[in-house]
Amino acid sequence: MLRATSGPRDRLLSAPGTPGADCIVLDGVTKRFDAMAWPALDEVSLSIPQGQFFTVIGPSGAGKSTLLRVLAGISRPDSGRVSVFGEPPEQASRAKHLGWVPQSPALLPWRSVIDNVRLPLQVNRGAKCEARDPEELLARLNLSHARDMLPAHLSGGMRQRVAIARAFAFRPRLLLMDEPFGALDEMTREHVAHLLLELWQAEKPTVIFVTHSVGEAVLLSDTVAVIGRGRLSPSVGIDLGRPRPEGIEDSQGFHQLTASLRAQLRRAFSDAGG
Amino acid sequence: MRTAELLRPSRWLPTAVAAAVVLGAWQLVATSTTAVLPTLGSIWSAFTGNAGTLFANAGDTLEEALPGLAGSYVVAVLLAVVMSQSRMLTRALLPLAIALNVSPVIAFAPPLTVFLGLGQMPRVVLAAIITFFPSLINAIVGLASADRGAVEVFETLHASRWETLWRLRLPASLPYLFAAARISAPLSIVGATVAEMVLGGVNVGLGRQIQTWSSYAELNLAWAGIAVLAFFGLLITGIVVALESWVLKARGFR
Ligand SMILES: Nc1ncnc2c1ncn2[C@@H]1O[C@H](COP(=O)(O)OP(=O)(O)OP(=O)(O)O)[C@@H](O)[C@H]1O
Ligand SMILES: [Mg+2]
Repeated sequence: MLRATSGPRDRLLSAPGTPGADCIVLDGVTKRFDAMAWPALDEVSLSIPQGQFFTVIGPSGAGKSTLLRVLAGISRPDSGRVSVFGEPPEQASRAKHLGWVPQSPALLPWRSVIDNVRLPLQVNRGAKCEARDPEELLARLNLSHARDMLPAHLSGGMRQRVAIARAFAFRPRLLLMDEPFGALDEMTREHVAHLLLELWQAEKPTVIFVTHSVGEAVLLSDTVAVIGRGRLSPSVGIDLGRPRPEGIEDSQGFHQLTASLRAQLRRAFSDAGG
Repeated sequence: MRTAELLRPSRWLPTAVAAAVVLGAWQLVATSTTAVLPTLGSIWSAFTGNAGTLFANAGDTLEEALPGLAGSYVVAVLLAVVMSQSRMLTRALLPLAIALNVSPVIAFAPPLTVFLGLGQMPRVVLAAIITFFPSLINAIVGLASADRGAVEVFETLHASRWETLWRLRLPASLPYLFAAARISAPLSIVGATVAEMVLGGVNVGLGRQIQTWSSYAELNLAWAGIAVLAFFGLLITGIVVALESWVLKARGFR
């Protein structure tokens, strides 16, 4: 059921010829924090082909957010190399290739829903990016009726959908999502996850998604990697066809996959001593 | 906050009871030992008999307090913005601001008159100095208060410093800018009043009059003057609070 890392799904965006231009590469990335007994990231090596939905799963404090921050160029690794489609993360963010969905929706309270979604189009205008129609994005995420509302008046699920719309608004090539559904109840989680899937399916940007939830990882991903104490275990492919309709969570195949991923998680932990 | 809510007894009753207790205690002390406090009745008649003088002088005091407040508020916010953009400047300027805050500001008053004269100007300056620090600190905290996730969104978009300031940090600091105004506004009246008392100078302003009345043992009038100042302190605080709750609501903070 679980197979080795799946092959690249090429999109014809990257410049051919540049090594690593069609994937995200981490090579021996280590990041330490003073107060910690072990590195937050310990020699992490990873290659994610363009267009893949890649999920990192692991317990609290495992280094998931640190990994995303290093990929986004928000934090610099102590050693090792990070390459986003052949360029360093700083370059990728300058070119507006990075979408960021933090754990809290982090909407601007004074901006209406539509203006929050437009925000990425209003900053760093020097970088040319193909903007999407924000109205169409809202419609796809069932937010059209909330277009002019302020975030304070939205439910948690709606806010998180706005954060997703904002991240998709400028067609980033790499989407980094840090437990975006962490604060939502289970039913809302499932609903928003399926909306995200639909949106992703249409364009297939590369996604690196962080979660605590095995079910979410299986539902969304092409590939899942387990992280514990800063160490990444080998990734496993999720052989579940696409598109993945609502209700797939109840299928036999889905249950088998979650069960074997759980087993994998347990094994990773007994190995890491975590 | 809606008016209907303000009218509910659970909102106003505690305040009313506390005020009644204080006034009752006052009256008790005043009637038993007339030397310490005048009775409420005699303060009231001093007030009604001299309302014109009291309000004219209160107006003079506000003429000193409010420009001082506005000037220092604008400078404090601008300085906080500048400091938010440069760690070097923060390191250079913040200790100076702290030194200003811990020094006995009233002691600046006499030297101030030396080059600002005996008019109302030194009082304006003192009101400005006394309100400066609370405004500055609140503005600094406010500019650093933007949601961390939102800062990261701006960072990953490679937004410029200016874009981050203008579209994120400044608007996010609004609740703190209101807090600054809420603290500084009544403080400016204190500053102006104290300056009038310490500096002497031109014979206008309630602080100046209270001092004179006290020295002539016109305690009824002095207390009436104090009450008028307290009223204006409450009034401008109330205006700021009302504005704050309205604007913060409209801007989605509440
Ligand atoms: N800026 C920092 N300074 C010091 N320690 C840090 C810093 N950022 C992260 N850490 C530490 O690094 C470790 C990994 O943190 P990280 O935020 O990556 O965990 P996580 O897997 O995202 O956890 P969670 O699921 O709780 O979000 C933690 O022990 C954390 O305390
Ligand atoms: Mg985290």
